[in-house]
Amino acid sequence: MAEPIIRAEGLSKTFLSKERKKGEKKRKKEVHALKSVDLEVLDGEVFGLLGPNGAGKTTLIKILTTLLLPTGGSAWVNGYSITKEEDEVRASIGCMLMGDRGLYWKLTGRENLDYFGALYHVPRPDRAKQIEHLIALLKLDDFIDRTVETYSSGQRMIVAFAKSLVNDAPILFLDEPTVTMDVPTARELRRIVKDLNDHGKTILYTTHLMHEAEELCDRVAIIDHGEIIALGTPRELKDSLGHEDVVSLEGIFPDATVSRLRAVPGVLEVAVSAEDDGRSKLDVMVENSRAMLPRIIEAVTGQGSTVEEIRPKEITLEDVFVAKTGRTLAVDTRVVGEKAVRGRGG
Amino acid sequence: MAGETVSRGFGLGRPGPRASAGVVWSVFRARLKIITRYKGAVFLESIIPVIFAGLPILLGAAVAGGEQNAANNFFAYTGTTGRTAADFRLYMLMGSNTFMVVTLMLWLIGYWVRREQETGTLEALYLTPAKRFHVLAGVTSYTFIRALIAFLVATVLGALLFNVNPLEGNFLAAVAYLVLGIPALWGISFFFGALVMRIKEANSVIQLLQWVLAFAMGVYFPVTVFPFLLRVVAMGFPPTLMNDAIRSTLLGIASIYGPWYVVLGLMLIAAWLVPLLGYEFFGWTERRVKRDQGVGQF
Repeated sequence: MAEPIIRAEGLSKTFLSKERKKGEKKRKKEVHALKSVDLEVLDGEVFGLLGPNGAGKTTLIKILTTLLLPTGGSAWVNGYSITKEEDEVRASIGCMLMGDRGLYWKLTGRENLDYFGALYHVPRPDRAKQIEHLIALLKLDDFIDRTVETYSSGQRMIVAFAKSLVNDAPILFLDEPTVTMDVPTARELRRIVKDLNDHGKTILYTTHLMHEAEELCDRVAIIDHGEIIALGTPRELKDSLGHEDVVSLEGIFPDATVSRLRAVPGVLEVAVSAEDDGRSKLDVMVENSRAMLPRIIEAVTGQGSTVEEIRPKEITLEDVFVAKTGRTLAVDTRVVGEKAVRGRGG
Repeated sequence: MAGETVSRGFGLGRPGPRASAGVVWSVFRARLKIITRYKGAVFLESIIPVIFAGLPILLGAAVAGGEQNAANNFFAYTGTTGRTAADFRLYMLMGSNTFMVVTLMLWLIGYWVRREQETGTLEALYLTPAKRFHVLAGVTSYTFIRALIAFLVATVLGALLFNVNPLEGNFLAAVAYLVLGIPALWGISFFFGALVMRIKEANSVIQLLQWVLAFAMGVYFPVTVFPFLLRVVAMGFPPTLMNDAIRSTLLGIASIYGPWYVVLGLMLIAAWLVPLLGYEFFGWTERRVKRDQGVGQF
């Protein structure tokens, strides 16, 4: 049984922000970005952190990587306290937290890697070897000796990823590493992440992409409003929905359709994702999709609805999030259902 | 505190002297590489003080009805007599050059913090175990070399253009005072860099501060012309001390601070005390920023 290599106990973070409403005096407002988070990441696992924007993922990662001090609680990374042994924590981790940012544009990719390698105290001969290894591993040789300003955003992302590996640390923090990468590059990066994990690295991986989390992660935590609302293997989380099924509908639906659907006996939850062109997607969670299908069709047809597609689908981690919060992970999501209000951790 | 989780790997959080020197060297070399990729930047900034020195020289000649008259009036009013027009030009040139060094320090360190914040490299830097002291040592080494090059290039250009010969005075001693004055400028820049990190704005703060310093350090005049209270405040500025030391050495005029050993003593104290205070303030601000919002917030 693997032991934890990252542990957080009662980690909390409160920001003070100033709020000014029209005609009123400026006043201080407390924002609770993290609320007493307990977490253990086991040595050698790929741990996924899922959640929508503003859920607290970045705050948690910034605290664990020593960029931010917590308001309360404690955490240890690789056996070191994040507040008392910051340098040891930093020496234990490789990070890709800012996408393609964090590189010097007037330096070449190779010079960037060498620079950061030195800042991680990697001895020069080891650094040179590691850089050559990364160039071969990530196929960087076509552009590594050009200045970063000439790179495409995908090339910057891959060099930023290489930067996170330059110190060959036992723990990797990867925050949305495949954003802006094309499909084959993203697939290749996931393969490399898996390979790094096979060679013993512990990886804390945040993503919005459910298929990425399902493909890569041994365990997943879903975070929302500063709280971990679900934690387990992807299989455990999906199984936690019991015998629930999801029926997915696409088309044009008036607001009343959602209310009608929710009123149908046997419908457990409805999540709505709005598309740009006025179309929307409804994910309807039910106990038995086969039995419920006729009743769902009856509820959505007529009264201005246009159903373009209707299909039962396999439960995904997105559905787990919907079930816990009543919202989808997409940015343009409306809150629906009673459970949603309860699930917001207030 | 190891034991709360398992511990694996490196343990390079506490590097040896070789690794620490490697950080200083890498930061220094990276800054140097970056500036050399902006073609002509170092040369162009050296022209600025020559132009700046031209303004009071021409104004003085216009007001006094000739350059020698301007020199006579200027030195008589500021407490020295028997100086030539060339001395008057050299006085202005050295004031402008020293001001350029001060401005360079503010921009290079203050703007460095801002640039790194905007490009995300400041956060990347804080993710490494490199000590703040070593990173700042790399940055200040770079600013030191760049300021020295700019000062020397501007002096040569100014000497040719204004037909003055700085080597007639004790030029080496003047350069030594410049070198001795730079650590205090680092200290001021650390204060300034900390402010930039906190308020996330560089331009307006630098603009304001550099002109306040230009006024207080007496770019074109000795601060003895100030009213008493302002004079005391101005003399407390390390750039004023450096400016006065360089000029009095080159032109062989009396320092407003007293004999040479007093000037040297004050410069040594400033070279030790100001960077120390600036560094502490930088560290204090950094901790506050990490508590409030994080260093990457821009």
